[in-house]
Amino acid sequence: MSGNRFLRPPGARTEKEFLSRCLQCGQCAQVCIFDCIVMHTGFNPFVAGTPEINPKIAACHLCMRCSAICPSDALHDIPIEQVRMGFAEIDRKKCYQWAEFLLCRSCYERCPIKWVAMELERGEYPVITDKCAGCGLCEHVCPAKAIIVTPTRYVDAGRKNDGGK
Amino acid sequence: MKKPSIKTCRRLCQLLIIVMFIVIPILNKNRYSLLYGNLLSFHFWVIPLADPLAVLQLTLKNLSITFDSFVGAFISLFVAFSLGTVFCSWMCPFGFLSELAVNSSKKILPRSYKGFALVAPGFKLKFSIFIAGIGFFLIFSTTPVLNQLSLPAWYTRFFQYLFGQGYFSLSILVIAALLLIEFIAKKRIWCRYICPQSVLLSLTKRLNKKRLIVGFNPQKCRCKGEREHCTESCSLSLKPKKVWNLEDMECTNCGDCIVACKQVGKALTFQMGGEKCDSQEEPL
Repeated sequence: MSGNRFLRPPGARTEKEFLSRCLQCGQCAQVCIFDCIVMHTGFNPFVAGTPEINPKIAACHLCMRCSAICPSDALHDIPIEQVRMGFAEIDRKKCYQWAEFLLCRSCYERCPIKWVAMELERGEYPVITDKCAGCGLCEHVCPAKAIIVTPTRYVDAGRKNDGGK
Repeated sequence: MKKPSIKTCRRLCQLLIIVMFIVIPILNKNRYSLLYGNLLSFHFWVIPLADPLAVLQLTLKNLSITFDSFVGAFISLFVAFSLGTVFCSWMCPFGFLSELAVNSSKKILPRSYKGFALVAPGFKLKFSIFIAGIGFFLIFSTTPVLNQLSLPAWYTRFFQYLFGQGYFSLSILVIAALLLIEFIAKKRIWCRYICPQSVLLSLTKRLNKKRLIVGFNPQKCRCKGEREHCTESCSLSLKPKKVWNLEDMECTNCGDCIVACKQVGKALTFQMGGEKCDSQEEPL
Protein backbone atom coordinates (compact mmCIF):
# COMPACT_ATOMS: atom_id res chain seq x y z
CA MET A 1 0.00 0.00 0.00
CA SER A 2 2.55 2.57 -1.00
CA GLY A 3 2.51 5.51 -3.38
CA ASN A 4 1.89 3.37 -6.42
CA ARG A 5 -1.50 2.21 -5.20
CA PHE A 6 -3.65 3.43 -8.04
CA LEU A 7 -6.94 2.43 -9.62
CA ARG A 8 -7.65 1.66 -13.25
CA PRO A 9 -10.38 3.78 -14.87
CA PRO A 10 -14.00 2.57 -14.63
CA GLY A 11 -14.92 -0.22 -17.01
CA ALA A 12 -11.38 -1.61 -17.05
CA ARG A 13 -11.18 -5.32 -17.68
CA THR A 14 -9.12 -7.60 -15.45
CA GLU A 15 -5.58 -6.26 -15.19
CA LYS A 16 -4.03 -8.76 -17.60
CA GLU A 17 -6.69 -8.32 -20.25
CA PHE A 18 -6.69 -4.58 -19.74
CA LEU A 19 -2.96 -4.31 -20.33
CA SER A 20 -3.06 -6.49 -23.41
CA ARG A 21 -5.71 -4.24 -24.92
CA CYS A 22 -4.60 -0.79 -23.82
CA LEU A 23 -2.97 1.02 -26.74
CA GLN A 24 -1.51 3.67 -24.42
CA CYS A 25 -3.05 6.44 -26.49
CA GLY A 26 -4.16 8.51 -23.51
CA GLN A 27 -7.58 9.37 -24.92
CA CYS A 28 -9.25 8.41 -21.64
CA ALA A 29 -7.00 10.86 -19.79
CA GLN A 30 -7.76 13.59 -22.28
CA VAL A 31 -11.50 13.06 -22.23
CA CYS A 32 -11.69 12.98 -18.41
CA ILE A 33 -13.37 16.22 -17.34
CA PHE A 34 -12.40 15.72 -13.70
CA ASP A 35 -8.71 15.32 -14.55
CA CYS A 36 -8.53 12.23 -12.42
CA ILE A 37 -7.08 9.91 -15.06
CA VAL A 38 -3.37 10.32 -15.60
CA MET A 39 -0.99 8.33 -17.78
CA HIS A 40 1.51 6.06 -16.07
CA THR A 41 4.88 7.76 -16.12
CA GLY A 42 8.35 6.27 -16.24
CA PHE A 43 10.21 3.99 -18.58
CA ASN A 44 8.75 0.55 -17.84
CA PRO A 45 7.91 -0.37 -21.44
CA PHE A 46 5.09 -2.69 -20.41
CA VAL A 47 2.99 -0.16 -18.57
CA ALA A 48 4.20 3.32 -19.55
CA GLY A 49 1.33 5.39 -20.87
CA THR A 50 -1.47 3.27 -19.41
CA PRO A 51 -4.17 5.18 -17.53
CA GLU A 52 -4.44 5.24 -13.76
CA ILE A 53 -6.32 7.10 -11.05
CA ASN A 54 -4.90 8.15 -7.73
CA PRO A 55 -7.97 8.90 -5.59
CA LYS A 56 -5.89 10.82 -3.09
CA ILE A 57 -5.18 13.44 -5.78
CA ALA A 58 -8.35 13.33 -7.87
CA ALA A 59 -11.10 10.75 -7.78
CA CYS A 60 -13.34 9.34 -10.47
CA HIS A 61 -16.92 10.60 -10.66
CA LEU A 62 -18.08 7.65 -12.76
CA CYS A 63 -19.07 9.85 -15.70
CA MET A 64 -17.95 6.96 -17.96
CA ARG A 65 -16.67 9.19 -20.74
CA CYS A 66 -13.37 7.29 -20.75
CA SER A 67 -14.91 3.91 -21.37
CA ALA A 68 -17.03 5.37 -24.16
CA ILE A 69 -14.04 6.71 -26.04
CA CYS A 70 -11.59 3.82 -25.55
CA PRO A 71 -10.84 2.64 -29.10
CA SER A 72 -9.57 -0.81 -28.13
CA ASP A 73 -12.20 -1.73 -25.55
CA ALA A 74 -9.63 -1.98 -22.75
CA LEU A 75 -12.22 0.02 -20.86
CA HIS A 76 -15.58 -1.33 -21.83
CA ASP A 77 -18.74 0.66 -21.68
CA ILE A 78 -20.78 -0.81 -18.82
CA PRO A 79 -23.48 0.61 -16.55
CA ILE A 80 -22.21 2.32 -13.40
CA GLU A 81 -23.64 -0.41 -11.18
CA GLN A 82 -21.32 -2.98 -12.74
CA VAL A 83 -18.13 -0.95 -12.31
CA ARG A 84 -15.63 -2.57 -9.95
CA MET A 85 -12.49 -0.45 -9.79
CA GLY A 86 -11.71 -1.41 -6.23
CA PHE A 87 -13.17 -2.00 -2.79
CA ALA A 88 -13.51 0.78 -0.28
CA GLU A 89 -13.14 0.08 3.42
CA ILE A 90 -13.91 2.40 6.32
CA ASP A 91 -11.64 2.30 9.30
CA ARG A 92 -14.27 2.79 12.02
CA LYS A 93 -11.69 3.82 14.58
CA LYS A 94 -10.61 6.77 12.47
CA CYS A 95 -14.00 7.73 11.02
CA TYR A 96 -15.33 10.85 12.75
CA GLN A 97 -18.87 9.58 12.61
CA TRP A 98 -18.16 6.07 13.88
CA ALA A 99 -15.78 7.37 16.52
CA GLU A 100 -18.55 9.68 17.70
CA PHE A 101 -16.20 12.59 17.25
CA LEU A 102 -18.06 14.77 14.76
CA LEU A 103 -21.15 14.63 12.65
CA CYS A 104 -19.70 13.86 9.23
CA ARG A 105 -21.27 12.42 6.15
CA SER A 106 -18.75 13.63 3.56
CA CYS A 107 -18.32 10.21 2.03
CA TYR A 108 -22.01 9.52 1.84
CA GLU A 109 -22.77 12.91 0.32
CA ARG A 110 -20.21 12.48 -2.44
CA CYS A 111 -20.83 8.84 -3.31
CA PRO A 112 -22.05 8.81 -6.96
CA ILE A 113 -24.28 5.79 -6.30
CA LYS A 114 -25.43 6.39 -2.75
CA TRP A 115 -28.04 4.07 -1.23
CA VAL A 116 -26.60 1.41 -3.49
CA ALA A 117 -22.90 1.47 -2.75
CA MET A 118 -23.14 3.30 0.53
CA GLU A 119 -25.84 3.24 3.16
CA LEU A 120 -26.37 5.06 6.40
CA GLU A 121 -26.85 2.71 9.29
CA ARG A 122 -29.45 4.11 11.66
CA GLY A 123 -29.49 7.17 9.41
CA GLU A 124 -26.08 8.29 10.57
CA TYR A 125 -23.24 5.82 10.25
CA PRO A 126 -21.81 5.26 6.75
CA VAL A 127 -21.54 1.65 5.66
CA ILE A 128 -20.07 0.52 2.36
CA THR A 129 -21.95 -2.29 0.69
CA ASP A 130 -20.58 -4.91 -1.67
CA LYS A 131 -22.00 -2.94 -4.60
CA CYS A 132 -19.26 -0.32 -4.17
CA ALA A 133 -17.73 0.65 -7.52
CA GLY A 134 -14.44 1.66 -5.92
CA CYS A 135 -14.30 5.04 -7.59
CA GLY A 136 -12.36 6.51 -4.68
CA LEU A 137 -14.45 9.65 -4.21
CA CYS A 138 -15.08 8.79 -0.55
CA GLU A 139 -11.37 8.29 0.00
CA HIS A 140 -10.72 11.61 -1.68
CA VAL A 141 -13.15 13.59 0.48
CA CYS A 142 -12.74 11.82 3.82
CA PRO A 143 -11.40 14.42 6.26
CA ALA A 144 -10.19 11.73 8.65
CA LYS A 145 -8.43 9.68 5.96
CA ALA A 146 -10.38 6.74 7.30
CA ILE A 147 -11.29 5.24 3.92
CA ILE A 148 -8.93 3.28 1.71
CA VAL A 149 -9.83 1.84 -1.67
CA THR A 150 -8.03 -1.36 -2.59
CA PRO A 151 -7.72 -1.69 -6.38
CA THR A 152 -9.46 -4.69 -7.89
CA ARG A 153 -6.29 -5.71 -9.66
CA TYR A 154 -4.59 -6.36 -6.30
CA VAL A 155 -7.34 -8.76 -5.44
CA ASP A 156 -7.19 -10.37 -8.90
CA ALA A 157 -3.46 -10.86 -8.64
CA GLY A 158 -3.57 -12.07 -5.05
CA ARG A 159 -2.87 -8.58 -3.73
CA LYS A 160 0.35 -8.42 -5.67
CA ASN A 161 1.21 -5.82 -8.25
CA ASP A 162 2.66 -7.78 -11.15
CA GLY A 163 4.01 -4.66 -12.83
CA GLY A 164 1.99 -5.36 -15.92
CA LYS A 165 4.23 -7.71 -17.86
CA MET B 1 -0.02 33.56 -58.22
CA LYS B 2 2.82 31.07 -58.12
CA LYS B 3 1.81 27.58 -57.20
CA PRO B 4 3.54 26.50 -53.97
CA SER B 5 6.10 23.78 -54.51
CA ILE B 6 5.67 20.24 -53.23
CA LYS B 7 8.25 20.91 -50.58
CA THR B 8 6.42 23.95 -49.23
CA CYS B 9 3.18 21.99 -49.02
CA ARG B 10 4.94 19.14 -47.28
CA ARG B 11 6.66 21.38 -44.76
CA LEU B 12 3.33 23.05 -43.97
CA CYS B 13 1.69 19.68 -43.50
CA GLN B 14 4.48 18.50 -41.19
CA LEU B 15 4.38 21.72 -39.19
CA LEU B 16 0.64 21.42 -38.87
CA ILE B 17 1.01 17.95 -37.32
CA ILE B 18 3.88 19.09 -35.08
CA VAL B 19 1.86 22.02 -33.78
CA MET B 20 -1.41 20.09 -33.66
CA PHE B 21 -0.09 17.53 -31.20
CA ILE B 22 1.23 20.29 -28.96
CA VAL B 23 -2.09 22.10 -29.06
CA ILE B 24 -4.40 19.09 -28.61
CA PRO B 25 -3.46 18.38 -24.95
CA ILE B 26 -3.85 22.08 -24.15
CA LEU B 27 -7.27 22.18 -25.81
CA ASN B 28 -8.34 19.00 -24.02
CA LYS B 29 -7.24 20.46 -20.72
CA ASN B 30 -9.51 23.42 -21.44
CA ARG B 31 -12.39 21.13 -22.39
CA TYR B 32 -12.40 21.61 -26.14
CA SER B 33 -13.39 18.19 -27.27
CA LEU B 34 -13.00 17.35 -30.90
CA LEU B 35 -9.57 15.78 -31.10
CA TYR B 36 -8.16 13.17 -28.76
CA GLY B 37 -5.24 10.82 -28.58
CA ASN B 38 -1.71 10.47 -29.82
CA LEU B 39 -0.17 8.88 -32.87
CA LEU B 40 -0.88 5.37 -31.60
CA SER B 41 -4.60 5.92 -31.68
CA PHE B 42 -6.44 9.08 -32.44
CA HIS B 43 -9.98 10.37 -32.64
CA PHE B 44 -10.97 13.22 -34.88
CA TRP B 45 -14.55 13.79 -33.77
CA VAL B 46 -16.00 10.34 -34.58
CA ILE B 47 -13.35 9.33 -37.08
CA PRO B 48 -10.79 7.00 -35.53
CA LEU B 49 -7.21 6.66 -36.70
CA ALA B 50 -4.76 4.09 -35.40
CA ASP B 51 -1.24 2.87 -35.78
CA PRO B 52 -1.57 -0.43 -37.70
CA LEU B 53 1.21 -2.06 -35.67
CA ALA B 54 -0.53 -1.24 -32.38
CA VAL B 55 -3.75 -2.73 -33.75
CA LEU B 56 -1.86 -5.79 -35.02
CA GLN B 57 -0.51 -6.39 -31.52
CA LEU B 58 -3.97 -5.92 -30.06
CA THR B 59 -5.38 -8.44 -32.52
CA LEU B 60 -2.60 -10.99 -32.07
CA LYS B 61 -2.91 -11.06 -28.29
CA ASN B 62 -6.67 -10.93 -27.97
CA LEU B 63 -7.65 -12.66 -31.21
CA SER B 64 -10.33 -10.04 -31.60
CA ILE B 65 -10.53 -6.51 -32.89
CA THR B 66 -12.76 -3.59 -32.03
CA PHE B 67 -14.61 -1.56 -34.61
CA ASP B 68 -12.79 1.67 -33.78
CA SER B 69 -9.31 0.22 -33.98
CA PHE B 70 -10.17 -1.71 -37.14
CA VAL B 71 -11.45 1.39 -38.91
CA GLY B 72 -8.50 3.42 -37.62
CA ALA B 73 -5.92 0.95 -38.87
CA PHE B 74 -7.83 0.50 -42.12
CA ILE B 75 -7.75 4.22 -42.87
CA SER B 76 -4.00 4.39 -42.20
CA LEU B 77 -3.34 1.35 -44.35
CA PHE B 78 -5.61 2.61 -47.12
CA VAL B 79 -3.68 5.87 -47.31
CA ALA B 80 -0.48 3.84 -47.62
CA PHE B 81 -2.15 1.60 -50.19
CA SER B 82 -3.06 4.48 -52.47
CA LEU B 83 -0.37 7.09 -51.78
CA GLY B 84 2.59 5.06 -50.49
CA THR B 85 4.21 5.68 -47.13
CA VAL B 86 3.33 9.36 -47.14
CA PHE B 87 2.82 9.19 -43.39
CA CYS B 88 6.59 9.05 -42.91
CA SER B 89 7.38 12.07 -45.04
CA TRP B 90 4.28 14.22 -44.72
CA MET B 91 3.05 13.62 -41.18
CA CYS B 92 5.44 11.84 -38.83
CA PRO B 93 6.81 14.39 -36.33
CA PHE B 94 9.97 12.39 -35.77
CA GLY B 95 10.47 12.14 -39.53
CA PHE B 96 10.33 15.93 -39.71
CA LEU B 97 12.84 16.41 -36.89
CA SER B 98 15.12 13.74 -38.31
CA GLU B 99 14.97 15.39 -41.74
CA LEU B 100 15.93 18.71 -40.19
CA ALA B 101 18.80 17.06 -38.32
CA VAL B 102 20.19 15.38 -41.44
CA ASN B 103 19.68 18.41 -43.68
CA SER B 104 21.40 20.71 -41.23
CA SER B 105 24.26 18.26 -40.79
CA LYS B 106 24.66 18.27 -44.58
CA LYS B 107 24.96 22.04 -44.45
CA ILE B 108 27.04 22.44 -41.30
CA LEU B 109 29.42 19.48 -41.34
CA PRO B 110 32.15 19.57 -44.03
CA ARG B 111 31.27 18.09 -47.42
CA SER B 112 34.22 15.72 -47.34
CA TYR B 113 32.81 13.99 -44.27
CA LYS B 114 30.40 11.39 -45.57
CA GLY B 115 28.91 10.28 -42.29
CA PHE B 116 28.43 6.65 -41.28
CA ALA B 117 28.65 4.18 -44.11
CA LEU B 118 25.43 2.19 -44.06
CA VAL B 119 24.87 0.49 -47.35
CA ALA B 120 22.74 -2.54 -46.60
CA PRO B 121 19.23 -2.25 -48.03
CA GLY B 122 17.31 -0.54 -45.25
CA PHE B 123 14.14 -2.49 -45.63
CA LYS B 124 15.73 -5.88 -45.00
CA LEU B 125 17.09 -4.75 -41.65
CA LYS B 126 13.87 -3.01 -40.77
CA PHE B 127 11.85 -6.09 -41.63
CA SER B 128 14.14 -8.32 -39.54
CA ILE B 129 13.72 -5.98 -36.57
CA PHE B 130 9.98 -6.02 -37.14
CA ILE B 131 9.83 -9.83 -37.17
CA ALA B 132 12.11 -10.07 -34.11
CA GLY B 133 9.95 -7.50 -32.35
CA ILE B 134 6.75 -9.39 -33.10
CA GLY B 135 8.43 -12.60 -31.88
CA PHE B 136 9.50 -10.93 -28.65
CA PHE B 137 6.05 -9.52 -28.20
CA LEU B 138 4.33 -12.88 -28.71
CA ILE B 139 6.64 -14.75 -26.35
CA PHE B 140 7.47 -12.33 -23.57
CA SER B 141 4.85 -9.64 -23.46
CA THR B 142 1.16 -9.35 -22.86
CA THR B 143 1.11 -5.62 -23.52
CA PRO B 144 1.57 -3.96 -26.92
CA VAL B 145 5.21 -3.36 -26.09
CA LEU B 146 6.28 -2.47 -29.64
CA ASN B 147 4.42 0.79 -29.16
CA GLN B 148 7.47 1.91 -27.24
CA LEU B 149 9.45 1.84 -30.49
CA SER B 150 7.15 4.39 -32.06
CA LEU B 151 8.98 7.69 -31.88
CA PRO B 152 6.05 9.77 -33.18
CA ALA B 153 4.06 8.33 -30.28
CA TRP B 154 6.82 9.34 -27.86
CA TYR B 155 6.76 12.82 -29.27
CA THR B 156 3.00 13.17 -28.93
CA ARG B 157 2.95 11.51 -25.52
CA PHE B 158 5.54 13.95 -24.25
CA PHE B 159 3.05 16.78 -24.71
CA GLN B 160 0.21 14.70 -23.29
CA TYR B 161 2.28 14.29 -20.14
CA LEU B 162 3.44 17.89 -20.09
CA PHE B 163 0.15 19.69 -20.59
CA GLY B 164 -2.21 16.97 -19.37
CA GLN B 165 -0.62 16.25 -16.03
CA GLY B 166 2.30 18.64 -15.71
CA TYR B 167 4.92 15.91 -15.89
CA PHE B 168 8.13 16.53 -17.80
CA SER B 169 8.87 13.21 -19.44
CA LEU B 170 12.51 12.41 -20.07
CA SER B 171 11.51 10.65 -23.28
CA ILE B 172 12.34 13.89 -25.06
CA LEU B 173 16.00 13.24 -24.23
CA VAL B 174 15.88 9.91 -26.03
CA ILE B 175 14.49 11.65 -29.11
CA ALA B 176 17.17 14.33 -28.82
CA ALA B 177 19.91 11.72 -28.49
CA LEU B 178 18.68 9.89 -31.58
CA LEU B 179 18.56 13.14 -33.52
CA LEU B 180 22.13 13.89 -32.45
CA ILE B 181 23.27 10.47 -33.65
CA GLU B 182 21.54 11.04 -36.99
CA PHE B 183 23.14 14.48 -37.19
CA ILE B 184 26.61 12.99 -36.74
CA ALA B 185 25.88 10.04 -39.00
CA LYS B 186 24.44 12.26 -41.74
CA LYS B 187 21.94 9.46 -42.29
CA ARG B 188 18.35 8.97 -41.22
CA ILE B 189 19.18 5.79 -39.34
CA TRP B 190 15.93 5.32 -37.42
CA CYS B 191 13.54 5.98 -40.28
CA ARG B 192 15.42 3.96 -42.85
CA TYR B 193 16.83 1.06 -40.89
CA ILE B 194 14.86 0.55 -37.68
CA CYS B 195 11.35 2.03 -37.41
CA PRO B 196 9.05 -1.03 -37.20
CA GLN B 197 5.89 1.10 -37.43
CA SER B 198 6.53 1.80 -41.11
CA VAL B 199 6.94 -1.85 -42.09
CA LEU B 200 3.22 -2.60 -42.33
CA LEU B 201 2.70 0.58 -44.34
CA SER B 202 5.47 -0.41 -46.73
CA LEU B 203 4.12 -3.92 -47.12
CA THR B 204 0.63 -2.58 -47.81
CA LYS B 205 1.71 -0.12 -50.44
CA ARG B 206 3.46 -2.95 -52.23
CA LEU B 207 0.08 -4.56 -52.91
CA ASN B 208 -1.03 -1.69 -55.11
CA LYS B 209 0.69 -1.34 -58.45
CA LYS B 210 -1.26 1.81 -59.26
CA ARG B 211 -0.26 3.82 -56.22
CA LEU B 212 1.48 7.17 -56.20
CA ILE B 213 5.16 6.77 -57.06
CA VAL B 214 8.10 8.82 -58.21
CA GLY B 215 8.37 8.13 -61.92
CA PHE B 216 11.55 8.62 -63.90
CA ASN B 217 11.77 9.48 -67.58
CA PRO B 218 15.38 8.79 -68.69
CA GLN B 219 14.94 10.72 -71.94
CA LYS B 220 14.52 13.95 -70.04
CA CYS B 221 17.36 13.40 -67.58
CA ARG B 222 20.15 15.86 -68.30
CA CYS B 223 22.65 15.11 -65.55
CA LYS B 224 24.41 12.05 -66.90
CA GLY B 225 27.76 11.62 -65.23
CA GLU B 226 27.50 14.95 -63.45
CA ARG B 227 26.48 15.42 -59.83
CA GLU B 228 22.96 14.20 -59.44
CA HIS B 229 20.66 16.74 -57.85
CA CYS B 230 17.99 14.17 -57.10
CA THR B 231 20.31 11.86 -55.15
CA GLU B 232 21.75 14.78 -53.22
CA SER B 233 18.34 16.05 -52.27
CA CYS B 234 17.02 12.72 -50.95
CA SER B 235 17.16 12.85 -47.18
CA LEU B 236 16.98 9.06 -46.97
CA SER B 237 20.03 8.81 -49.29
CA LEU B 238 18.16 6.78 -51.89
CA LYS B 239 18.78 7.02 -55.62
CA PRO B 240 15.53 8.43 -57.00
CA LYS B 241 16.27 7.23 -60.52
CA LYS B 242 16.24 3.67 -59.31
CA VAL B 243 13.44 4.03 -56.85
CA TRP B 244 10.91 2.10 -58.87
CA ASN B 245 12.87 -1.12 -59.14
CA LEU B 246 15.37 -1.06 -56.29
CA GLU B 247 14.52 1.11 -53.36
CA ASP B 248 10.84 1.21 -53.92
CA MET B 249 10.06 -0.12 -50.43
CA GLU B 250 11.96 2.71 -48.82
CA CYS B 251 10.83 5.74 -50.83
CA THR B 252 8.36 7.79 -48.82
CA ASN B 253 7.09 9.98 -51.68
CA CYS B 254 8.42 13.12 -50.04
CA GLY B 255 8.96 14.73 -53.44
CA ASP B 256 12.30 16.37 -52.62
CA CYS B 257 13.92 14.77 -55.66
CA ILE B 258 11.11 16.02 -57.88
CA VAL B 259 11.63 19.56 -56.64
CA ALA B 260 15.40 19.26 -57.21
CA CYS B 261 14.89 17.82 -60.68
CA LYS B 262 12.50 20.59 -61.69
CA GLN B 263 15.43 22.94 -62.15
CA VAL B 264 17.34 20.47 -64.32
CA GLY B 265 15.29 18.36 -66.64
CA LYS B 266 11.94 17.54 -65.06
CA ALA B 267 12.71 13.86 -65.50
CA LEU B 268 11.22 12.93 -62.15
CA THR B 269 7.49 13.36 -61.53
CA PHE B 270 4.78 11.95 -59.32
CA GLN B 271 2.65 9.44 -61.16
CA MET B 272 0.03 6.87 -60.33
CA GLY B 273 1.61 3.49 -60.90
CA GLY B 274 3.80 2.82 -63.87
CA GLU B 275 6.31 0.58 -65.54
CA LYS B 276 9.89 0.07 -64.53
CA CYS B 277 12.15 3.07 -64.84
CA ASP B 278 13.75 2.00 -68.10
CA SER B 279 10.42 2.31 -69.89
CA GLN B 280 10.34 4.82 -72.70
CA GLU B 281 6.79 5.97 -72.09
CA GLU B 282 5.89 9.48 -71.13
CA PRO B 283 4.80 9.69 -67.51
CA LEU B 284 1.07 10.07 -67.09
